Amino acid sequence: MRVGILYSRIRKDEKLLLGELRERGHDVEKIDVRKHGFGLDDTDAAVADCDLVVDRCLATSRSKYATEFCRHYDVPVVNSPDTAAVCADKVRTSLALDDAGLPTPDTTVAFTTESALEAVESYGYPCVLKPVVGSWGRLMAKLDSRNAAEAVLEHKATLGHYEHKVFYIQDFVEKPGRDIRVLATDGEPVAAMTRSGDHWLTNAAKGAQTDSFEVDDGVAELVETASNAVGGGLLGVDLMETGDGYTVHEVNHTVEFKALNDASDVDVPAAVVDWLEDRAAAEVEVTP
Amino acid sequence: MSTCPECGSDVALHDDLEVGEIVDCDTCGTELEVVDTAPAVLDRAPELSEDWGE
Repeated sequence: MRVGILYSRIRKDEKLLLGELRERGHDVEKIDVRKHGFGLDDTDAAVADCDLVVDRCLATSRSKYATEFCRHYDVPVVNSPDTAAVCADKVRTSLALDDAGLPTPDTTVAFTTESALEAVESYGYPCVLKPVVGSWGRLMAKLDSRNAAEAVLEHKATLGHYEHKVFYIQDFVEKPGRDIRVLATDGEPVAAMTRSGDHWLTNAAKGAQTDSFEVDDGVAELVETASNAVGGGLLGVDLMETGDGYTVHEVNHTVEFKALNDASDVDVPAAVVDWLEDRAAAEVEVTP
Repeated sequence: MSTCPECGSDVALHDDLEVGEIVDCDTCGTELEVVDTAPAVLDRAPELSEDWGE
């Protein structure tokens, strides 16, 4: 198959993916989205002849729009722009997870520092303030006191981009020093790992220790529901253990898997390419 | 082998280099983007943006 890879940076994840695709003899078209324009009728990016385009953009903004244009050109793209739009926005993700009946951390959105502070006080301390767009644990604030809350809110309101004036406040979940990342393809778990550390943030990008995790039926059901809730695709679903179950706190649509590939026994890039081949074959069936 | 555009030092590169990949200059620590592979050409990598991630 001919596969287009939308990118602006080749991380180890993309190298693993490119290696697996080429090893299987697939024709790979690397498309650096920074070098192209996307018009209403056409683009100079070589997407038209691709059986499937895979969005691996590092920048969320590029991911959202580039996938929209692919769909506009009737080029099959994974993940879909709908999935990207939901996963890229923590507010939309929380709403989608809640709509699906999934356990997810209690969340309030407020639009002024005053109403945000009221929400913070209603949760009590600690609680968490997150940017609505962001990744790798950046700009996350664990608020331990009213003084801290007032300071962080004022900084966000004064110094931040307008998106930082959408205050996304979340109940703090007392997790057991770790969270769980499950990589799934259309809701089916491929591999999973725990991410552990002394810091309250346990992102792999923050240096958390990773270990393989066995997905049981309960987690698999949550992952499938979460995947469906955001539109499906190749996803990284993050869960925290709450003592009597799990809560789903994030779904990532341009999921990184290098750490998972090292932590688990699963050949993750091979499993991802298996899924891409299935998706490309399905596209051929519906558009003969 | 290529040259760091920041400090001019030689930068050792591995064999399976990809355009778009990031390498570090061992001398000055600058993050460098591979902009060509035949021959290898390096440029200063873009600064981290707020919307980067997964």
